[in-house]
Amino acid sequence: MFDAIRGHLAASAPHDAVRAAHHAAAAHGEDVSARDEKSAAVVFEGTAVERFRQALEAVAGRCFVVKDEAEAAEVLRQIAGQRKSQRVAVSDSPLAGRVLKLAGLPAEVLENAAVGELFDSDLGVTGAQWGVGETGTLVLESDAERHRLASLIPSAHVALLEARNVRHTLGEVLRAINERGEGGLSRAITFITGPSRTSDIELTLAIGVHGPAELYVVVIGGEGNG
Amino acid sequence: MHQQTSETFDRNAREALADVQLRGALRNLATTFGGRRKEAIATVEDWEGLRDRARAAKDETLAHLDKYLEQFVGNAEKAGAQIHWARDGAEACRIVLDLIRARGASRLVKSKSMATEEIHLNAALEAEGLAPVETDLGEWIIQLAHETPSHIVVPAIHKSKRQIAELFAEKVGIEPTDDVAVLTGAARRILRRSFAEAEVGISGVNFGVAETGTILILENEGNARLTTSLPRTHIAVMGIEKVIPKFTDLDVFLKLLPRSGTGQRLTAYQSLITGTKRRPEDEGPEELHLVLMDNGRSRMLSHPVTRQSLACIRCGACLNACPVYQQVGGHAYGSVYPGPIGAVITPQLSGLKQSAQLPYASSLCGACREVCPVKIDIPELLLHLRAEVTEGTAAGTAAQHGPVKSRPLERLAFGLYARAWSSPTLYLWGARVARLLQGAVVRKGRIGKVGGLLAKLAPPLAAWTEWRDAPPLAPRTFREQWREEQKR
Ligand code: SF4
Repeated sequence: MFDAIRGHLAASAPHDAVRAAHHAAAAHGEDVSARDEKSAAVVFEGTAVERFRQALEAVAGRCFVVKDEAEAAEVLRQIAGQRKSQRVAVSDSPLAGRVLKLAGLPAEVLENAAVGELFDSDLGVTGAQWGVGETGTLVLESDAERHRLASLIPSAHVALLEARNVRHTLGEVLRAINERGEGGLSRAITFITGPSRTSDIELTLAIGVHGPAELYVVVIGGEGNG
Repeated sequence: MHQQTSETFDRNAREALADVQLRGALRNLATTFGGRRKEAIATVEDWEGLRDRARAAKDETLAHLDKYLEQFVGNAEKAGAQIHWARDGAEACRIVLDLIRARGASRLVKSKSMATEEIHLNAALEAEGLAPVETDLGEWIIQLAHETPSHIVVPAIHKSKRQIAELFAEKVGIEPTDDVAVLTGAARRILRRSFAEAEVGISGVNFGVAETGTILILENEGNARLTTSLPRTHIAVMGIEKVIPKFTDLDVFLKLLPRSGTGQRLTAYQSLITGTKRRPEDEGPEELHLVLMDNGRSRMLSHPVTRQSLACIRCGACLNACPVYQQVGGHAYGSVYPGPIGAVITPQLSGLKQSAQLPYASSLCGACREVCPVKIDIPELLLHLRAEVTEGTAAGTAAQHGPVKSRPLERLAFGLYARAWSSPTLYLWGARVARLLQGAVVRKGRIGKVGGLLAKLAPPLAAWTEWRDAPPLAPRTFREQWREEQKR
């Protein structure tokens, strides 16, 4: 197949020469994502955390900014209470473990839940490695935590996010991950922006088709590094 | 209704025009997605610059596709993925089938993928007694209805809520309802069972990153996440053009694709998967198979005009903006890729002979080029393909699919037309003659088909005049008026 690709590319060479204004040459090897970062950050005159909250709520997610883990536990208690949660699946994040313990929920708490148990859980509690202010996006890295399924299968997801890990743009997060080099790239990275949604029937928005119908993000540590 | 193929576009289109419900749905599509797109691109500071950078990244990859594919494959393998090469659709289907068979698997879930639609993977698997379950809501609806997608982003856009409710009542036994939330809830409940027991998950790929061997899959529902993380085996089918050079290039494409397609800043989920799990306790599949498919793509590399077709990121914006698609919908194109992008890639993938009408399924208004996030010049491509149709040779395609039906009279007419318009003397003379003659053909102040002499005199031209009006020429030309003005 490489022969076919090389053959056809070679056939194109004379045509390419004719097309003088070929902009690929100008961009050869250039990092196309690096340029507009600063401008994007200055457009918003608040902290990255505030920006995150606004963007997340605009896509039907709920965001709580709290001072410390005790406050986070209080928020979690309210959410679980309102939803009358019976079975809560928690990831192996130490932060999630601590907050859950502080919350002392009157529900069954499953650590390291098997897939079958996850299908029977009504709330998943995990950490998140990054937040993106511009879009209200959570970034989950599989090397940091086992949260791939706990954030996906239960009908509601509570994510605990440290304020210092919130950035303004996705570009900043992608570069930070990339700069760690080969060993620093998790096998599964998941970006989550709001609850699961579909517009497949007459373009009418419906929330919660396959993933969680409710997404709550608790940002811990106040205003972060906006 | 007759069998709709690309060869019968004219007939398909006429049938679609009579379908009132379909046209309502298409109007809704154009206004909803069109409006949301405008709002979403206003949230980006330098939209034009982004488009240029995305196109530059694609051009760079395509101009050195061999190099970037090698890099991509090397890195994916290093991370534990297994690579399979498919020259065409039949080979890709065979590879997927063999992988499933070798694992003794029968419970298959699929997430939405245009590449697998292109090669009719479901039909190939069903022919072997397998029953892959489509899990994207729109794809599931059309699978239940035994139909084909009519849009590359919202595949069931042609179906009304009521039709879907009736379908669900018949196939899965739920009470008919016009509450979309109830219909969606039923899909969730029923498909959860399929996910829980699935052995193999089949997905497409939106981007493959050469630098890291990562694949990215973009979605809103969560079914692609379930498909790619629950089953033991994940098979991803990707066209060879999906590669981009760098991990950080994803930023640009993720700004462009959702905004252009559905008018979102970002879709709800992106899964970035690099090989298989690292440690035994990690979640996710044991195996990842990447099926890299050519199926007519490498041929498009052989000319810069056709090569740009491979820059497409399948956002669907050109469909939503196209005045032809807005009237006739997706099925009229008789191909899995409808709309402007379909009109240019279908003939290149499956041969101009089978789809010689498609390059003409456009008014060349340029709306597609205007909205395309990677600035594909679709009108230029349409003209390029029309030239191949009239030449009757279709470089590349002819070798594969035999000669194309030529249109010699049309070629002659346009040859004369071009000569007349490129010579000032011929143009002036022609205009004078035309003004003298036009009395015979002008009806109700227009030159058109109504009893038009032109239409009667020249059958090949009738194809033009039947559907096109031209304003009559003014009694005195601008040139004549200008000269008189100057004399005063
Ligand atoms: S041609 Fe451009 S606008 Fe059309 S689907 Fe492809 S990327 Fe989108």
